[in-house]
Amino acid sequence: MFELVTPLFLSLIVGGTLVGIIFGAIPGMTATMAVAICLPITYSLGLENGLALLLGLYVGGISGGLVPAILLGIPGTPSSITTTFDGYPMSKKGEGEKALRIGICASLVGGLISLLILFLFAPTLADFAIKFSYVEKFLIIFFALTVMAALSSDMLIGIFSGILGIFVSLIGTYDISKGGNGELRLVPEGTEYWLEGGFSLLPVLIGLFGLAAILEQAEIGMPKGHGIKDIKVGKKSTFSIGIFKGQLINLLRSSGIGTFVGILPGVGGSAASILAYSNAKTFSRNPERFGEGEPAGIMASEAGNNGLTGGALVPLLSLGIPGDSTTALLIGAFTLQGIQVGPLFIGNNPDTWNAMIFAMLVANLAMFAMMYVAIRYFALVVTIPKHILFPVILMMCVIGAYTINYGIMFDVWTLLIFGLFGWLATKLRLEVAPFIIGFILGPSAEVYFVKSLESFGDVTIFFTKSWIAVVLWVLIAASIAGSIILSKKHGEATDT
Amino acid sequence: MGTFTRVTIDFDTSHLLFPTIVSGVLALLGLAILIRDRRRIAGSAAYWRGVLARMDKMRFLGTLGLTLVYFSLMVPIGDFWPNTGLGFLICSVPFVFATGSLLSHDRDLKSLLPIAAISLTGPTFVWWLFTYPLFLTLP
Repeated sequence: MFELVTPLFLSLIVGGTLVGIIFGAIPGMTATMAVAICLPITYSLGLENGLALLLGLYVGGISGGLVPAILLGIPGTPSSITTTFDGYPMSKKGEGEKALRIGICASLVGGLISLLILFLFAPTLADFAIKFSYVEKFLIIFFALTVMAALSSDMLIGIFSGILGIFVSLIGTYDISKGGNGELRLVPEGTEYWLEGGFSLLPVLIGLFGLAAILEQAEIGMPKGHGIKDIKVGKKSTFSIGIFKGQLINLLRSSGIGTFVGILPGVGGSAASILAYSNAKTFSRNPERFGEGEPAGIMASEAGNNGLTGGALVPLLSLGIPGDSTTALLIGAFTLQGIQVGPLFIGNNPDTWNAMIFAMLVANLAMFAMMYVAIRYFALVVTIPKHILFPVILMMCVIGAYTINYGIMFDVWTLLIFGLFGWLATKLRLEVAPFIIGFILGPSAEVYFVKSLESFGDVTIFFTKSWIAVVLWVLIAASIAGSIILSKKHGEATDT
Repeated sequence: MGTFTRVTIDFDTSHLLFPTIVSGVLALLGLAILIRDRRRIAGSAAYWRGVLARMDKMRFLGTLGLTLVYFSLMVPIGDFWPNTGLGFLICSVPFVFATGSLLSHDRDLKSLLPIAAISLTGPTFVWWLFTYPLFLTLP
């Protein structure tokens, strides 16, 4: 593995982390967007170096969100929403720098704990998943979709979005290389030339996470940026590591929650930080202080959202199911290099696996070192005007889409189509994360479903194949039942 | 039960099996949403009027229009100098400038100068990076 650790490899991690922090620190720009627009750069880098860059962007992007959350009360990324609750009040009291450093330390703890869980848990899960036949693989995808829908803000809309993603992924030819018959389906007449291979994954992702975000900002009139005078880092209270005294349980619990939420497919970082924050408040001796500038609140939120980073990679690397939107984009990096992620990935690519773990470790340490030392400079990032950045980002989106299939202009139009769809989806209250995961898993779901029926010739095989199938059905039923109970409780709470 | 649950898949039509099931499930879910949210859907005209009223039409439609023009012109212009990526470069410079100016709140010389600088240096650097060190095809 150590021959992979070259100066270029390390530079890409550090550079990626730096760019990721900048993206995370600018409200309206996310880690997902950073990964989306930097994907084309990985074409020429090779898998390990490409992943080093993308993982740096991922860790940096999630961490950078705390800067505007604390200094301006605006979450830089959705996952730092709960950081605003206590970070901004601290900032208003002149404790901005202290709050930032608390957040940075908690982010490091969350990132490292989730990395440890990834390292220990993913190979075990992958070893177990190797035994899965087409039946269990189909049920795993079905389970992932039900969990995703169950945890959506609206279960019906969540599952509709996921199934819509599957539907769109089926457009084109039934792939011969996967055992299909090579026939076209769902392709409107006259569009066969462009849609023969269906919509490519990367233009779809870049459109949904790049162009759609720019259109949303344009729609609301590009809110004016913040000037240097708005940034009050403050020197009133200095940071000391002693502030973490008595917070070990909070940090461990929040990191664990973040990692667990990351493992659940399609559930974003905002859910991780909200769950970690509400638990910290529930178990706190001073819950009344939360929301007023309580350091434990920042710790919970940041440990929770950084805990997501390792967690979201667990289902990706062991089952081939992305844990969140950003890890869905990482599938693009693997696809570019012709590598399929799934149960066999870790066993067949031990060097890549070790390089990923090492890259995540370095990214977390680099994030901590850079942000801790230069936090006053990172605070200024929030003043970068978006009207200058967005056109450049759009230009990068074009490169990403155009180069994915070595120069197909239809992929650029795909980016526009899905950019508009992403903007429209928020208006129609459709859920983008389930859509994307449905889109990614759709072709595999089809192969597993059809091949199961071809092999066994009986639909009952989905229930009787093995004890794993039975357990998966129990889990599917539990996730649906849990969702119904939760939505009923939510409805009752809203009524009263 | 045994014969009722048995299925035989014809390989020639196997490409239609899963899309048909997915379409059916999608239609059922759509119907369920229509029934559940019928009041909200009935009031969607007012909702969209509100969206349009709140929208910054100049910036939104302008960005969309410029993007359409940008995408449409890149290949025809690039065809004059095939395999050089110049179509991308020539179209990107005015696109970045026009979109940056459109999205900006101030359009005085002081505000336009940085946009002009970025619109010249940004696309040129990206064109150079992808054409030479990375050897990637650009329009």
